[in-house]
Amino acid sequence: MAEHASPPMTTRARMQVLLAAAACLLPLLLQLPAWLGPAFGVGALVVVAASWRRPMPALLRLLLSACALLAVAVVAPGIGRDTACAVLAAMLALKPSETFSLRDGRSLVGFGLFGPFATFLLDQGPASLALALLAVLLALLALQRLAADEGEVAQPAGRGAATFGVLRLFALGLPLALAAFWLFPRLPSPLWGLPHRSVATPGLSDTMTPGSMGELLLDDSPAARVQFFGGAPAQEQMYWRGPVLWDFDGRSWRQARDLQRLPAAPMRPAGAGWDYRIDLEPTEDRQLVALDLPTQLPDGAYASHDYTPWAETAQYNVSRWRMRSAPPAAFEAELPPPLRARALTLPRGYNPRTVALGRQWRRDAGSDARGRSDAAIIGRALAMIRRDFAYTLNVPLAGRNEVDDFLFDRREGYCEHFSSAFVVLMRAAGIPARVVTGYAGAYRNPIGDYWLVRKSDAHAWTEVWLPVRGWVRVDPTAAVAPERVYDTIADRQPGRIAGLDALVPMFNASDWLRRGWNDFVLGFNAQRQQSLLKPLGLDRLGAGALVALFAAIAALALAWMAWLIARGERQRDPLLRAWHALEARYRRLGRGRAAHEPALAWAIRVAADSPRAGQHLATLATRFNLARYAPAGNRAELQALLRDLRAHRP
Amino acid sequence: MRPRAPETLPAQLTRHRIYVLPTASGLFFGLLLGAMLLGALNFNNNPALLLALLLAGAAQASLIAAHMQLSGLRVEAVAAEPVAAGEDLHLRIALGAADARVRRGLRVAVGEHATHIALDASGASAELRLPTTRRGLLPLPRLELSSVQPLGLARAWGYAWPAQSLLVYPAPETQAPPLPVPANGQDHAQAARSGDDPHHLRGYRPGDPPRTVAWKASARHDSLLVRDYEQQRGGELLLDWQQTAGLPYEQRIRRLARWVDDAERDGRRYGLQLPAQPPIASDRGPQHRHRCLRALALLPHDTPASEPAHG
Repeated sequence: MAEHASPPMTTRARMQVLLAAAACLLPLLLQLPAWLGPAFGVGALVVVAASWRRPMPALLRLLLSACALLAVAVVAPGIGRDTACAVLAAMLALKPSETFSLRDGRSLVGFGLFGPFATFLLDQGPASLALALLAVLLALLALQRLAADEGEVAQPAGRGAATFGVLRLFALGLPLALAAFWLFPRLPSPLWGLPHRSVATPGLSDTMTPGSMGELLLDDSPAARVQFFGGAPAQEQMYWRGPVLWDFDGRSWRQARDLQRLPAAPMRPAGAGWDYRIDLEPTEDRQLVALDLPTQLPDGAYASHDYTPWAETAQYNVSRWRMRSAPPAAFEAELPPPLRARALTLPRGYNPRTVALGRQWRRDAGSDARGRSDAAIIGRALAMIRRDFAYTLNVPLAGRNEVDDFLFDRREGYCEHFSSAFVVLMRAAGIPARVVTGYAGAYRNPIGDYWLVRKSDAHAWTEVWLPVRGWVRVDPTAAVAPERVYDTIADRQPGRIAGLDALVPMFNASDWLRRGWNDFVLGFNAQRQQSLLKPLGLDRLGAGALVALFAAIAALALAWMAWLIARGERQRDPLLRAWHALEARYRRLGRGRAAHEPALAWAIRVAADSPRAGQHLATLATRFNLARYAPAGNRAELQALLRDLRAHRP
Repeated sequence: MRPRAPETLPAQLTRHRIYVLPTASGLFFGLLLGAMLLGALNFNNNPALLLALLLAGAAQASLIAAHMQLSGLRVEAVAAEPVAAGEDLHLRIALGAADARVRRGLRVAVGEHATHIALDASGASAELRLPTTRRGLLPLPRLELSSVQPLGLARAWGYAWPAQSLLVYPAPETQAPPLPVPANGQDHAQAARSGDDPHHLRGYRPGDPPRTVAWKASARHDSLLVRDYEQQRGGELLLDWQQTAGLPYEQRIRRLARWVDDAERDGRRYGLQLPAQPPIASDRGPQHRHRCLRALALLPHDTPASEPAHG
């Protein structure tokens, strides 16, 4: 075959191939950073138009490739997963410039399939999934069309019939595919790591600059889904703890990196706490969130000294964690002096008015060992905030003394401003304090009875250290706008558009479906695979057992396909089938019907040897002839004949 | 089991004699899927894995579907009108199926000559042009039935080998001398050719060549009349192997073939006398011509020892 030049595609086949390639490219373009997606899309259209009649000159193609690579380098410098995907998209966009023969068409469709594949490396959301399925369907339709061209089919199947044919292929292959998906042994750890993105997606971060969370607060996509076993805390107690920020440089708050590997501080829980399972969306990071405060974390996760939950490895997929949490009765009641000093540090020369106010309040309250004066100062600060401050997401850019601006002039902002200013004020008043970030509140989906935490629930609150009790959570934002924080107002209900509730049930249902998809597909890994047969009493599935199970199910699927083939050869008419079976029984005894012999003549010949069977056979043959050549259309009669034919033995 | 020996028709393609293998593009597709599967397993990227597995499942199903394109197919008959050596045989292959499945893009090939047909419940017939080079019985080579439908990723094929030979007439000599004069010398052909004497006309019989119809005379009567050349063009002609003595062996056969054609064209009665065979009695008409040309075609290929070697 190789030495023959491949025949050219017909125009229709070519259009179908290009359509499939476009469908493959589209989901990838939607995931590319910045303006690369639209640019490559337009580029692909121009390339198709320019090379419709004759191939583009090689030099021009080279030039275009160079331009595309340059664009990628400008938008996303460095080598990352997203840059690799962008380069792939550029290649796919340029490939149609040399697509003329059948073989070109097939290779374009084949390479095109890497489009949806690469998309999944960047995003696994429902939109990408739907587009990828569409792309795969169109790709197979294009392949079918090319095969029809190769077979010189004069009248290819119509669009409906062709689609049905391809869907049928998917249906036939589905059992095998699903068996492989769930049972083919997974790698417990990757052979080679997944490259990072060079352009990060928004999420919780280990630093906080007041004003930086705005983007996250507008993102309504899910961050986590939580199922409680037993009781759930009140919605106002749902603080999902993430990074704890200690160090302030006047602009940004940072994590205390050196505390992350220290053992967790001593903590005495108040009450039994809550048992829950949290499904986290991929973060591409080791950062986890847990209900305040995590007391028990599963294998693969740990809590740092300040109870920041971490995973041992970065989470690129939906991950599932079974945890226990409890509110603290006493949390690090003995604060070591270095940590105390650190929790009191303020950068020199920043926010002088706030520092002065803090010192003023300390002088007013005095000081005592039991922490009564500390509580008074906190109460005074909260009262001030409740009285004079407002919640808004529209915040101008920060100046040098951001906390001063906020506390004395602007007096409105959101959680980052409140928590940052509060901690600065507390530290100035001599109360150890730190910022805690994470999520607050959740939305309970009545379908499936689970809690949904969205990225827009991102929140920053504070912890102050009081004698005896240790670290105590204080949320200054909640003093102003509790309903914003805890998701308790109807406005914050997902699916609500322009004050109408009509779409809420739809949102609930779709999020529930998405959770199921996460459960069964996205979050499936080696560990979940091993506990696949737990309900059947098998605690752990080894690789050998998995392979055996997979082989058994794959064999079943293949046997099913083989049965389909055998069925293809089977006589469709039940009457003929019964008659042939009867003939075969005689043939085994060497008295089969000769090819030229009419049924009745054969029966008479048989009757010469064995009168009894022969006579019966003769009546059967007569009835068979009648049913076959002069059918009365009587179903009952036909059924009776079929029964008799099947029952007859020579 | 491919047929190792010719078989009698109808030949059914059962699953034991259908082979399926990926095509070149199927292998390419497989390679792509392999890369995808490896990547998806490594990154534990489940949607990507599911995508690759779905595609692999569909590709596997297309293997089965390609198989089903052929299974149940039946080669019912193969026929071709004999032609002179050097011309193309028009081979007609009648195909049927045990079921009503629509089969499109079915490739029927003999050697490198191929055609594509579509087949439904009522069957179909493929026509192939097969070049011929020498006279005699052309043993029918193996027929190959194949299909790359539905996706072009897999090719299913099977063989049928009908136990049937196709007759190829000898190629008539191109520049041959005229028909020999009958030995008894009663050739009045030229004298009797003039006029449309009603005595020399007779009623039309099926099989008379149209050029012998006397159109003017027929117009005056109610029925078609035919000039009776038999009378006009003299007596019977015996085409004898000995008349071509001195020519090379194959040349003699070709000349006789040419003379048979000429005599048939002229509407004369002729007989044929070949060595070591009973003579073919005088007659005319397509049946007779076939009998004569067949006898010539089937003469042994190697020069009989009794003949002088030519060269």
